[in-house]
Amino acid sequence: MTVRDLAMRYGFLALLAAMIAYFAVSASGFVSPQSAVFIFQSVAITGVLALGVTATLVVGGFDLSIGSVATTAMMAAAYVMVVLEQNALVAVIVCLAIGVIVGLINGFLIVYMRVPDLLATLGMMFLLVGLQRIPTEGRSIATGMTMPDGSVASGTFSPAFLALGRHRFDFFIPNLVPVSVVVLLILAVLIWFFLEYTRFGRMMYAVGSNERAAQLAGAPVKAYKIWAYVISGIFASIGGILLAARLGRGDIASGNNLLLDSVAAALIGFAVLGAAKPNAFGTAIGALFVGILLQGLTMMNAPYYTQDFVKGVVLVVALVFTFALSRSGQK
Amino acid sequence: MVEGAVFRAAGLKKSFGPIQVLGGVGLELHAGEVTVLMGANGAGKSTLVKIVSGVYSLDQGEITLDGKPFQPATPAEAIRAGVVTVHQNIADGVVAALDVATNLTLDRLNGKGAPLLFNPRRVRREARKVADAMGLSIDLDAQIADLSLADRQMVAIARAMAHEPKVLILDEPTSSLSSAEANRLFKLIDHLRGRGVAILYISHRMSDIRRLADRIISLRDGVIAGVFGEKPLDYEGAVNAMLGQKIGLSAVAVRHADGAIFSSEHLKIAEGSTPFSLTLGDGEIVAITGLVGVGKTALAETLFGLRKPLAGNMNLNGRPYAPKSTSEAIDAGVFLVAKDRAENGIVHDFNIYENMSLPFLQRLSRMGILRRGAERTTARQQISDLGIVCRTERDEMGTLSGGNQQKVMVARWMSQNARLFILDEPFQGVDIAARRDIAAKLRASSAGRTTLIFVTELDEALETADRILVMSEHSIVGEHRNAEVDMDRLLAEIAGQPVRGAA
Amino acid sequence: MKIDRRTLGKMAMGLVGATCLMQLPAMAQDKPAPFDNPGNVKIALVRYLSTGDFFQAYLSGVESQAKALGVDLRVLDSRQDAALQADMVDQAIALGVNGIIIQHGLTESMKEAAQRAVDAGIKVVAFDVNVENDKIPQIEQSDRDLARLALEQAIKDNGESWKAGYVYVAGIAPLDRRNETWVDFKKKYPGIEEKAMFGTLDNPIANSVANQARSVITANPDIKVMFAPYDEFAKGVKIAVDEAGLSSDIKIYSADISTSDIAAMRESGSAWAATAATNPAVVGQVSVRALAQLLAGEDPGKSVIVPPTLITQKDLNDNDIKNMEDLSAKLPQFAHADVAMPAWMPNPNAK
Repeated sequence: MTVRDLAMRYGFLALLAAMIAYFAVSASGFVSPQSAVFIFQSVAITGVLALGVTATLVVGGFDLSIGSVATTAMMAAAYVMVVLEQNALVAVIVCLAIGVIVGLINGFLIVYMRVPDLLATLGMMFLLVGLQRIPTEGRSIATGMTMPDGSVASGTFSPAFLALGRHRFDFFIPNLVPVSVVVLLILAVLIWFFLEYTRFGRMMYAVGSNERAAQLAGAPVKAYKIWAYVISGIFASIGGILLAARLGRGDIASGNNLLLDSVAAALIGFAVLGAAKPNAFGTAIGALFVGILLQGLTMMNAPYYTQDFVKGVVLVVALVFTFALSRSGQK
Repeated sequence: MVEGAVFRAAGLKKSFGPIQVLGGVGLELHAGEVTVLMGANGAGKSTLVKIVSGVYSLDQGEITLDGKPFQPATPAEAIRAGVVTVHQNIADGVVAALDVATNLTLDRLNGKGAPLLFNPRRVRREARKVADAMGLSIDLDAQIADLSLADRQMVAIARAMAHEPKVLILDEPTSSLSSAEANRLFKLIDHLRGRGVAILYISHRMSDIRRLADRIISLRDGVIAGVFGEKPLDYEGAVNAMLGQKIGLSAVAVRHADGAIFSSEHLKIAEGSTPFSLTLGDGEIVAITGLVGVGKTALAETLFGLRKPLAGNMNLNGRPYAPKSTSEAIDAGVFLVAKDRAENGIVHDFNIYENMSLPFLQRLSRMGILRRGAERTTARQQISDLGIVCRTERDEMGTLSGGNQQKVMVARWMSQNARLFILDEPFQGVDIAARRDIAAKLRASSAGRTTLIFVTELDEALETADRILVMSEHSIVGEHRNAEVDMDRLLAEIAGQPVRGAA
Repeated sequence: MKIDRRTLGKMAMGLVGATCLMQLPAMAQDKPAPFDNPGNVKIALVRYLSTGDFFQAYLSGVESQAKALGVDLRVLDSRQDAALQADMVDQAIALGVNGIIIQHGLTESMKEAAQRAVDAGIKVVAFDVNVENDKIPQIEQSDRDLARLALEQAIKDNGESWKAGYVYVAGIAPLDRRNETWVDFKKKYPGIEEKAMFGTLDNPIANSVANQARSVITANPDIKVMFAPYDEFAKGVKIAVDEAGLSSDIKIYSADISTSDIAAMRESGSAWAATAATNPAVVGQVSVRALAQLLAGEDPGKSVIVPPTLITQKDLNDNDIKNMEDLSAKLPQFAHADVAMPAWMPNPNAK
């Protein structure tokens, strides 16, 4: 293995380790179980979204609508519980249904209507940003809010639903690990296993690398592509559920920052272990990388714009790792 | 014609790295004549065209135009000197986003002396002049994107002619045109010939060649294999020279089939083509040969469920066979090694064993979960069977030579038993050793299935097959047992001529 | 009589106003021109910002006051398009309106458009945008007062010496004005120590701020007071404080209020101690009233300041306030501001 190969494979993990060491020394309180859990918690939502977008990247697509799917799901959860006064289960089901439907529509537009993926999902993004405002005429949803018709919404966020954002599991230390972190870890393992160890995941990679070859090998290419967008939609809606549970209300938001952060995590993931392709493990590490960076910088009182700057630097470095150093970049 | 050549090239040589593509080509073009250049894939036609049109530089040799040295460094220089090329890809010749008038005058928008402002009226005036000179009747306001391929081609040629070239090179201009559209193109070419333009016309299509050629030059392996200028033109001889068949290169122990595995009746695979029947027997290898564009790939795709036949029926194992998708074809035991492996075969992000297991993942997994051990064992078996040169089954595809990549593509389908095993141009871009290996493996394993290969190169058919079928104009026009092949008849059939004596 | 009606209205808030059908014709008689015939008065609201609870509430205030006056209101919304907003002023001029309210926007793009409207004889007021025109009164909510009220409460609750976390993003005009007050307070009370300053406008803002606040709390466990002079910031800080389990150790002081803020403040053991707010609906009403005064030939003054109200957790709990309507009903100083309120002006809150 040459030095270059080593740099390719372990360079990014080394960078991660160096960063942790640096913050451990310079930011007091950085090294603690609570701090570690918090880093996971702060990346849980973008991480879930990033895992979903990884599925679309694998089939050679892209999903710009994930951020707005998440915020739409958040609004839907709030609407179902606060306005329609339903329970947590109904809210979760409605959110997941939104994810599935949006994924199917995205897939249909891209596969059957032949709209390029970026444009189709961009359109969907705008559509959802508008749609989530329609039921309340642009108001955020909270218990006791006044509806457009003058009535007062009297439903509340059910405690079971809020627990998704607030309950903590005991893990050596009591009340340590929040539900969102558990959800992130479970989904990460699931999608990682799915992509790496099942034939469906393998075929999705084949579709993304050479669609024609996959078709000639008997793969139902269209179905795989649509499935990828459905996965992306479902993951985004799960992200929205976690968001709603954390905020405890339905907030009008475009979700663009969620989109950008999760796409950054997925792209940083390309560089992890020299994969040079979308992969679930890399995405999870990418999300964590961004989380650690932001936690450390905030603890050191760095203003928010330096954080965006540093995020951008990390992304650019990761992309250089992927495209300049890897063999596939030299084709 | 009498006053000598307008364009003369001698001793042209060109190499890319260690591979010599042109090994001393000489040719002449005369004013008012259509010279047809024929050559199989890889014979060096494109390289020759690119040198003459200023895309590539020359390693050795010299070209003169009107007696003066001609060595264009850029395409623009070639055009200024009077040599204009209309490339095969029509998209290069026209700008789809603009209308006809702008396209016809596009070259005047650039360069010195071009007016700063775009004046639509002046553009239309000039475009009208260009169109009239060419006898072109196309709505000048039409958008290129709305035109048929033929009309786009006309516009591309008219645009080229606006330069008043001495030499016009047309690179396979009819490859995507219907015959009616081609006829319009031929009229245009007649018109240009009448105006004294020297035309180099590159094509495989015998119907084009018979209609247009004043002279034929056959190119083979980077050298001129024959020049045919005496009327009546010897088309057969030209094809012969182009394919360069060497009879008895390696005699094949021809076998007879034991009963049919696949049969079809009245199969029609293209509009206006003659329906044909096809029977493929157990244990035999059948090669279908013919020039490029005669429907070989269309037939392969029909058999593999990628397209539906226009008419006729197919039977496999005595049962009707009408696959709606590739996966149905695969389930029925029909496998296809598609041509052009980089485009249609290789999954570039996958290593060798992942590429091999691609179609049969279902059989190599349990409850959807891959059994990597089984995948790799199967791959190792195939690697040793086919003699694939690699370090391990986990090597990336990019590290393999073309021949070994092709072996992986064949191996992909050999791990399971096929009933009908189709290989479309399996020897394209494959060195001679790998080609022999693949052919030997196909012959050794042919029992229990029927094997169908589609090849343009006659040698490849003669080396591999028990039976050779000839395809022309989307139909099967001849059949030969690969024992005592009547080469004259075979070549005549490939050239698409009524067979003298035998008919 | 009118004053009685207004006072009565405040008291009767929440009850069904069965007499409102009778109300308008009865009042029309005592109003000055042109409001003696309000159906002929057309006013336009030209908006730059419109999405979000604040702007929804502002619009409802404009609408309710316009309805109370009986004038014809046109709403033109440029959706953060500065050039379009200027064009919309011209459009309003072409519509033949009598008065225009310019709501937010950029000085550069609106200055000339506003002047054109004034030149056309149209009365103009501006809310939260300086169009640099002497003829145009400015409606303002006092950001400095907002910050001052919240901070005074913090001093009252915690004494004059504490360690603080401060949420701030520079470059946003109202936040910059609130920041001036914070800077003054730190000078005035040297015992206040700013341990960390953070903030972001990445949306959902509360979620992003929560992530930052968690880091800040971890790094500075001695912080006792969080000053988050924007309610989205405060919500984020509250989530972080709850997640860190420090609700009883940290107090949050903020500005602005909404229904969901009320719920968050009233949660048991909530760290969110107090907020100072101007009712956006009242600001909307004041905007229309100032314009009406201009149309009636009165002078509302060069600058019309809508005073803020301090709302503490205790106020909310004592009065069992659940939403903005309750807040208006039970904290009269929040429901109505006695600004631009000549005797003839109908009070939209009086039902």
